Formats: sequence, C-alpha cells, structure tokens
Amino acid sequence: MKRVMAFLMILMVAGGAQAKIDLTTLPTRDTVQLTIYNSADLTLARESRALTLKEGGNALQFSWENTLIDPTSLEMLPKANADAIDIAELVFPPRVRNLGLWNIHSEVSGKVPVEISYLTSGLSWRAFYMGTLSADETTMRLEGYVRVTNNSGEDYENAQVRVIVGRVHLLDEIAELARREYPYGRPGLPVPIPRPAAVPTRRALGIMQDVEMAAARAPMMAKEIVKEGLSEYFLYTIEGTETIPNGWSKRLQSFDVDAVPVVNLYKYEAERYGDRVMRFLSFANDTEHKLGETPIPDGMLKVYRGVDDAKHLAYEGQSSFKYIPVGEKVELNLGGVADVVVEPKLMEIRSDNHRFDRNRNVAGWDDIQTWKVEVRNTRDVPIKVEITRNFDAPHWDITHSGSIDGYEKVDLDTVKFTVELPGRSQKTFEYTTTLYRGVRTEDYNRRTR
Amino acid sequence: MNAKRLILSATIALLLAGPMAQARIKLVALPERAATIIRLDNPNATLIEEERVLTLQQGLNQVDFSWKGVQIDEDSIRLEVLDHPDAVNLLSVSYPPGESALVWEISSGGDFAETVRISYLLGNIDRLITYRAVADKAETQVDLRSYVILRNFSGEDFDHARILLDYGEAFEQGIDHEETKQVLFLKAPTVPIRKIWTFDAAKLPWDPQRLDNQNVGIPVSYRIVNDTASGLGRFAMWGGKARLFQDDGRSSTIFLGEDNAPLVPVGEKMELYIGDSRDIVVTQRKMRDVQINLRKNDSDRVVLYDTDEIITATIENFKDSPATLTMIQHIEGQWDMEKCNLPYTKKDASTLEFEIELPARTDAGPGVQELTMHYRRRNVRN
Repeated sequence: MKRVMAFLMILMVAGGAQAKIDLTTLPTRDTVQLTIYNSADLTLARESRALTLKEGGNALQFSWENTLIDPTSLEMLPKANADAIDIAELVFPPRVRNLGLWNIHSEVSGKVPVEISYLTSGLSWRAFYMGTLSADETTMRLEGYVRVTNNSGEDYENAQVRVIVGRVHLLDEIAELARREYPYGRPGLPVPIPRPAAVPTRRALGIMQDVEMAAARAPMMAKEIVKEGLSEYFLYTIEGTETIPNGWSKRLQSFDVDAVPVVNLYKYEAERYGDRVMRFLSFANDTEHKLGETPIPDGMLKVYRGVDDAKHLAYEGQSSFKYIPVGEKVELNLGGVADVVVEPKLMEIRSDNHRFDRNRNVAGWDDIQTWKVEVRNTRDVPIKVEITRNFDAPHWDITHSGSIDGYEKVDLDTVKFTVELPGRSQKTFEYTTTLYRGVRTEDYNRRTR
Repeated sequence: MNAKRLILSATIALLLAGPMAQARIKLVALPERAATIIRLDNPNATLIEEERVLTLQQGLNQVDFSWKGVQIDEDSIRLEVLDHPDAVNLLSVSYPPGESALVWEISSGGDFAETVRISYLLGNIDRLITYRAVADKAETQVDLRSYVILRNFSGEDFDHARILLDYGEAFEQGIDHEETKQVLFLKAPTVPIRKIWTFDAAKLPWDPQRLDNQNVGIPVSYRIVNDTASGLGRFAMWGGKARLFQDDGRSSTIFLGEDNAPLVPVGEKMELYIGDSRDIVVTQRKMRDVQINLRKNDSDRVVLYDTDEIITATIENFKDSPATLTMIQHIEGQWDMEKCNLPYTKKDASTLEFEIELPARTDAGPGVQELTMHYRRRNVRN
C-alpha cells in the first residue's frame, strides 16, 4: 500500500490566470534509498522518479497521508538538465493536509529524472551481538547483527538500506513535525495540534506469505555490509536491496569474527559495586583482536560459552555496551559473580603524630590503617582482577607488599591494584595507608609540594 | 473562502446643519487594491502597504476602513496621499464604537481619482528562514541554500503582492490565507567551513570510566563566516533552522544534524552544532587539591589560604584523521598558573581555552595529547 503519492499537474499559463487542465499520476518511484539513524527516530529517504515535464510552468503534487514524513524536509532536485529546470517554490496549499505542490519552471519538455528526499520517522535500527566464548575462555567468537524495523506507515520495496552509527543533533522530533497541522506551524500559535501517529497494522496473511516466498527466492548467502566513515558517523550499507513492509523488522548480520582474544577481567570497588566482584570481558577494537576495521555501535551483547564438542552452549550473561571507536579497549560488564572473591580486611588501626592547639585540644593526627586483601579465583580459567580503593581525603601515603601485578594512583583519592591469577588459585597482598588529619595535612602539603 | 476581509468604503458626507449629528453612510463601491507590498524585514511585525484609488469629490469626504477576521494594529494604520498631496488633506481619524474600523475625514480641493497608500501592521503573517547545507566529503566547504518560508494565517488572501525582505531582491508572490510557501532565495555553492570539536570541562563528565557503558559525546560544530571570501557577506544572515547534510561520495548524502542558526551580521561567525563525536575521548582527573599558605586567626582557625591543584587530561583521538580540539577549562576566583604544558588563551578571568592538535590514529593506537595544569587559587577565605 503506497501512501506517498505524487501527481504531476501541467499548468497552462494563459494571461496570468493559471488553469489546471491535466492531472497525471506519476510512475512509481524507480529506486529508493533509506538512511536510518539510531540515535534519534530519523530516516533520510531518497527516491528517484522520472517526471514528464512540459516546457513552461509545471506543478507537481506530492501527498503523504498516513505517513510520518516531515514536510519541512521535502526537497526535489533534477538529476539532468539542472540548468533548464527551476524548482521555484514549494507550496503547502490552504485547508489541505499532507499535501505539497512544487512549482517547476522547465525550459525542456520530456522525461526528466528527479530525486525527492525527505526525513521520516518510524524506521529504526539497532545493533546487537552474540559472543561465544571458547571452553577455556581465552577467545570469543563475536557476531554482530543489525535489526531494522519499519513502523513508518509506508511499505518500502526493494529499498537500498543504509544505517548510520552516530549521535545526531536534532532540534525537533521528526514524528512531531510529521503530525503538525501546518508544516511550519503558524504565527501566533506556537503549539501545533497533535494527532495520533499512524499505527502500523498487522499485515494480512497473504502478504506475509508473499514475503516469505520472496525470501525463499533470495540467494542463500548472507548479505554483506559495506562500512565507511563519514564526518562523525559510520555508514553501513547493506548489499543489494531489501523489502521491509510496514510493521516488519529484519535482522541482518554485520560481521562474524572468530577467536577474538579476550581477558577475563574482574573488578572490585566497594563504593561502586558493593561487596560483589563484577565480571567483565575485556578486549580491544583493534587488529590485534581481529577487529578494528570499524567502530562497534552500541548494543546488547549476549555471551554464551561452548561447553562440549557437540556445540552445546551455556549462557554466561549479557551486557549492554557503549560505542567502541577503532583502537579503543572494551570492557563488557557481565554482572556480579560469586566464583571470584575479593576480601579486604582491616588488620590494624593506629593513630600517631598528634598535634595540640593552644587549648590543648587535638588539632591534628595521622590515621594509620593496615589492610589485607585476599583474592580467590575458584574458577579453572586464568583471570585478571582490578581492586579499586577510595580514600575520604586527598592527604594520604600508601605502602604495599605481597602479590601485586600492578599499582596505579588513579586520581587524588583513588588507587588501583591489579592481580593476575591462574585457575583455582589465590593471592594475598597488604597495604598500609597513612591518612593525615587536621593540621597534620599542613605537614603533608609542605612535604609533597 | 476567498472573501476579502479588509473593506474600504468611501463615503461622501453631506455636511448637515447639526454640528455633531453626522450620519455615516457606507457606500458599497469598494476601491480595489492596486499594488500591494508585504514587508517582512522586521521579524516582530509585518507591514502591509497597499495602494487604492479613492474617488474623492471636492469638499469633505469620509472614507471608512474596516476589517473583520484579521488582526490589525489600529494605531499603525497610516494613509499617504500620492497624486495631489497639496490639495488633498487628511483632517481627522475617528474610531467608531464597537467596530473594527476607522473613518478618515479627507478634504479634497477637486474631484479626483486619488491614489492613496494605506499601510498597517497585520498580525499572523510572517516569514521564517531555513538553511540547508550540503558539505563535501572532506568537510572543507558547504553548498549553502537558504529558503524563506512565508506563512499567511492573517485571514486575508493576497492574490498578488511584492514581498520585501530586508535584503535581496523583492519578488512577486501571491499567498492565500492558511497557505505556507517555501521559496529559495539564497544560493552560495562554495562556503568554506571549519570543523570544531569542543570539550568544556564544566559541561561534560571528566572520567568516562566512571560512567557505566556510556559514551561522552564531544560536540561537533561547523563554523561559517559571513564574509565575501565565503561568497556571502552582503547582508546579515537571519536566524533559522539549519539542516546539514554531507555528500557521501556515492551521489547521495547523509544527514549530519541540525541547529538553530543565530542572526549573523556581516563579518561575524555562525557556529552550527551538528552532533557529537565519540571518537575523541577526554579523560580528565584531579590529581591534587590541597590547601597551602594557611593564615590563621588567634584561635588557630584557618581564615585565609591558597590551594595547590593539579588537573590532568588525556585526550585520545580514535579517528583516522587529525583533529583540533577546543578545550575549555574553568578556574574560579584569583589564581596563578604554576605550570601548564600546553599553551592557552585566557578568555576571561575564569575561562581558559586550549587549541589542542590531535594526530590521527595509527596502528599503534589513538593519537594522544596529555594536558597537565598546575595552578594555585589565591586568597580563598574560609
């Protein structure tokens, strides 16, 4: 069911009085290209049609009843004889809704290919991923998918589908613009009268069968997705064309990479995660990890693990992850676990270096705390654990001992210890902090300046 | 629904004996509009100028001007006599009670078919400006077009009018009540642009690792200068919605984003925020913040101190092309910079602006710049 219609009216101009004498239905669009965004409900549609123009004034009527097209975005460009065709104005006539009229002055007559573009809402896409860990959890097969959904009110047949990764700045929602009574609103009344959006209806069975049959005739190979960067965006172009009737979605595979090296990373930070250890899968979007060709759009990853040679799977968890630029590290949060344990224990409390004011009140002192941290890996795979400790003030010193593979001062009140453990092992380390209180911070400041 | 709502009727008033008892007799013969001008140069109000021919008789004439269904500012109505300004005089203007009308009392030195110009401010008719720009693939220039959107919801149909903006050619256009027209009026095919990434430390999160699975988008803008080098510079560019597209190199475009362009006088810059980059990542951290130079009162309480602060920022460019990041840092109050490894300009007392050149990403990793800013805030009172 086509809802976007274009008619060509040839207007005879006689003595300044315009008379409509002909009304021609245009041939259907020859090609259509959809560029679908996911950061906003926004799609750039571009269709080509062949107009038959007469020399002189022509008017093209374009209507879009029951669609979600933003009329302020309508543009028509001639693709041939551009110098001889002047698209003078676009008129939204009074007391008619969802209709625009292009007044075209042509110095040529005959068929002219034109391109009509507009923004519409109702089409969307999202990325999602499936990860399958090897049994030893050192590598992961990563499959990326794109799911395109059409709720635009318009059936798009044989459309070239492109999806855009990136965050676009919008002033108005396209769906809101599409519902306006007057395309540009009206002076004096800022608020347009809203109207319910076109609700996609469920297709009749016959159409569903058609679609299935069409799918059955399609070549039995997964389509390729061509990826390229443009400005701050990434453009994924799906090979060939797609037919997505209104109300339908399509899943397409965007990549499939086997054996991406991954690190089982666990994190402990009491202030952020509580007592539980959080499990992360860590890798990088680079060539070392067999990736790095394009950014990875944000989406949900479901992680499975191969459990035997018969390709049976266990479900490990899921993580939504953010957009990963090329070259950046990825840390996927799979949630809290019980099989890796981090136990910080406060082993000793002391205070020292007391200072007194003129009233003999305590004006400053040092709090000295000794912590023992036990890290246990009860799993049979090697893991890496990051333990973050926060202090309540910026005046501190630290000493540490024991099995630590890394230590870093993150910022003025945060440190991070890194411990690597083989399967079924445990490590212990100790650290002692001296926290300077009251006027003792002055001594600290003098010393560290 | 094509009724004229502005009614002009000329009345020849016979001056009767009764000094105040003048009966207004409206004549049906309406002088038709001749030339009509719609002036849209003031964004707050629209001025209509229309010429009509009044049939005046020697002596005193009354001309009624009334309207219904339209919004006219009564105080704005003016009458200009064009043919015989010396012989024809407007004596008075009166407003009849309870009517949207006024009565001009005109004295005429002869029987004239007099052309007059009536002007008034008409409500609910205006114009918007929109911009549509298509950037080239390299993002060095845009093909800029500007459209004027005429919106007539005044209640009056204008079959034929000269439409004047505050610049550009006047054009002939008819516009009916409730009609909207989009007319192209500016084409500048090669306007140079500069692409700008901006990190403002007061507006964006400092440490992306502290956010759970969220990207920090660095705002991206295009800068256009309204000057002759840009193929512009002839007049101020009006504010309006600007939509930006980019040529994808495959005879199609992608939509980059949209922003409200402000009014840009000649010689000034227009900055259009199009979207956010997630390929430039800023990780900013405070590494030191302590009080020094403590000054105490008799009770040993600190009353005045300086601070000693260190801020570091790592800027990573994951793009395959170099970029210039504008970084804005804020230090409140009185302060001295002890050491800063990158040059900056002081925009005002508390704002520092860095222009940081970021190399492109290589196989070894992102292009990285490090900023270390060591400063002391002075004379902070407790």
